[in-house]
Amino acid sequence: MKFGLFYEISIPRPWTPEKERTVYNNCLEQVKLADELGFEHVWAVEHHFLEEYSHCSAPELFLTACAVLTKRIRVGHGIVVCVPEFNHPIKIAERTATLDLLSGGRLEVGTGRSATWTELGGFGANPDTTKKSWDEFVRCLPKMWMQETFSYQGEFWSMPERTILPKPYQKPHPPMWVAVTSPGTEIDAADRGLGSLGLSFAGFGEQEKKIAEYRRRIKSCEPVGAFVNEQVATTNFLFCHEDEKTGIEMGQKLGNTFNYLATQLISTREVYSSPSYQSLGLLPALRRAATGPDASEQQTEGMAYGDPARIVRAVKKWESLGVDCINFILNANEVVPQDQVMASLKLFAKEVMPHFAKKPADAAAAE
Amino acid sequence: MPLYGTLDITRSPAGLPTLANLDTEAWALPKAETMQLLIEVPRVATDRLLPKAMHPALPSYVGLAVTKYSDSPVGPFNLAMLRLGSRAGAHPRGFLLGAVASTEAAAKELRARWGFPVESGEVKFLRRHDRVMGTVKKDGRTILDCALVDPQPVSGTDVQYINWVTAANAPLDGKTQPMLIQVDPKYTFHKAERGKPLVGAFDAAAWNAPDLKLAEPIVGTCCTVDTDLPRIRFVMDPLKPVFQGTRRIRESRADD
Repeated sequence: MKFGLFYEISIPRPWTPEKERTVYNNCLEQVKLADELGFEHVWAVEHHFLEEYSHCSAPELFLTACAVLTKRIRVGHGIVVCVPEFNHPIKIAERTATLDLLSGGRLEVGTGRSATWTELGGFGANPDTTKKSWDEFVRCLPKMWMQETFSYQGEFWSMPERTILPKPYQKPHPPMWVAVTSPGTEIDAADRGLGSLGLSFAGFGEQEKKIAEYRRRIKSCEPVGAFVNEQVATTNFLFCHEDEKTGIEMGQKLGNTFNYLATQLISTREVYSSPSYQSLGLLPALRRAATGPDASEQQTEGMAYGDPARIVRAVKKWESLGVDCINFILNANEVVPQDQVMASLKLFAKEVMPHFAKKPADAAAAE
Repeated sequence: MPLYGTLDITRSPAGLPTLANLDTEAWALPKAETMQLLIEVPRVATDRLLPKAMHPALPSYVGLAVTKYSDSPVGPFNLAMLRLGSRAGAHPRGFLLGAVASTEAAAKELRARWGFPVESGEVKFLRRHDRVMGTVKKDGRTILDCALVDPQPVSGTDVQYINWVTAANAPLDGKTQPMLIQVDPKYTFHKAERGKPLVGAFDAAAWNAPDLKLAEPIVGTCCTVDTDLPRIRFVMDPLKPVFQGTRRIRESRADD
């Protein structure tokens, strides 16, 4: 089991330059500590216009700062929006390659298509075609990274032959993932040989089914890149405290705040009737179901908050379902004071991580 | 935390519909044809239209709906509504700003049973080969002329209608007082189409939204549905955040 951090960069009103800077600096301080403590990944979303919920519209800049401040932790786009109105694919290839160079080959590239009308409408994107454009993008990116020259004629974008520079540091290219929120996207991930970057907090039963289907399908995949990235990551909240009750209370405050902000987002389906965005696939709906007032005891049980023993139990359950990596959200609207976030990370590293450390036999096999 | 509306409906209760009780029976409304146009609007005009208990949708948007009810307990009627996209706590809602019904009887009952801010007027729902049109006149003046252009078939499962909220006076705990009322129709889809919204005339003041200007069109739908107006299940304190001020009136939305 690997552990990572997952940043939406949520900033409460009233917004001031100092407050936004402070929250960004808090995140960087957390990432630096996480690197020292042995966390494997830091992921940052790409979101636009999502007031309070996420002010992370330029994740490649945040991740570059993370890379410069750290030595070992891998930096992940979680995700870069593969819709032409948001990001031109050439620019994605160039930016990611540059970040891979600057990080010394520590880049993970998550891909996706956006789930909110707030964002899709803001960029004038057509919700009906986002899955198709994502598919084109993920098939082009590895070639743009690997081939000396590249040309393309597609439905959503085209280019004459050029040399796309720079090339990534990692060879043949950085690992690729796709954000999995909508039912069925885990199949899209598996069929393309992409890692499954779970961004919902759905309960054990639903996750177990998704993971089993992913593992089954990926065995016969045709990878879009040069290799199959068979990994399943999921997202969770983290608040670790010596006292179980204190840990649960703060963790629930974190989860409820995050969830409430998420439910304010205008999901695409709410306003734009499209077969491309079915109801159960929407991020806000899943988050509401998982952590809102209707949350079941089982779902609460899967959350990584409480004392170390409780968190170990939750993580072991996720591990038993086949999850390879859990990425933690540490804060929402700054409801957890920074010193407590830092203390929680330290306690988690000291008391929980050793239960999931790579065994010597595993390490030898990996070498 | 999210923004709230700034409208205090308790300041002018006389302008609100008044319900004799919260016990209306449900209305079955089979084979209704309903056109809904969703359009973004500037935020500057919307916060003051939304009760303090509710969160604005970001970006702000409204739904213009024109519906032909061919069968109802008060006979056939057409209804046009303007709803403001919003949130009641975590839930998407359309706050009903104004409505016009094509018959006096329908207007009277919708006002008295569910608190619709509705008056009677001329409401037409017309279908042409390339568009569905809605027109509304009050006192001989056109206050809405809109259309769904180039309707294309979609699946009913692609369409999501959100629940509504009205503001009205109603008796609760022995006192008639202003409150918010959730109206949550159900839909069984027989036919669904999607197209482009087009609005030729819109008199915002006639819909109780004097400063509202329509901006970016989002999408329009036209559906044939079996629907209803259910029994009232939830009412909300208009001044408290919805997650603190919601009262359940009854368990079931259907007639007991």
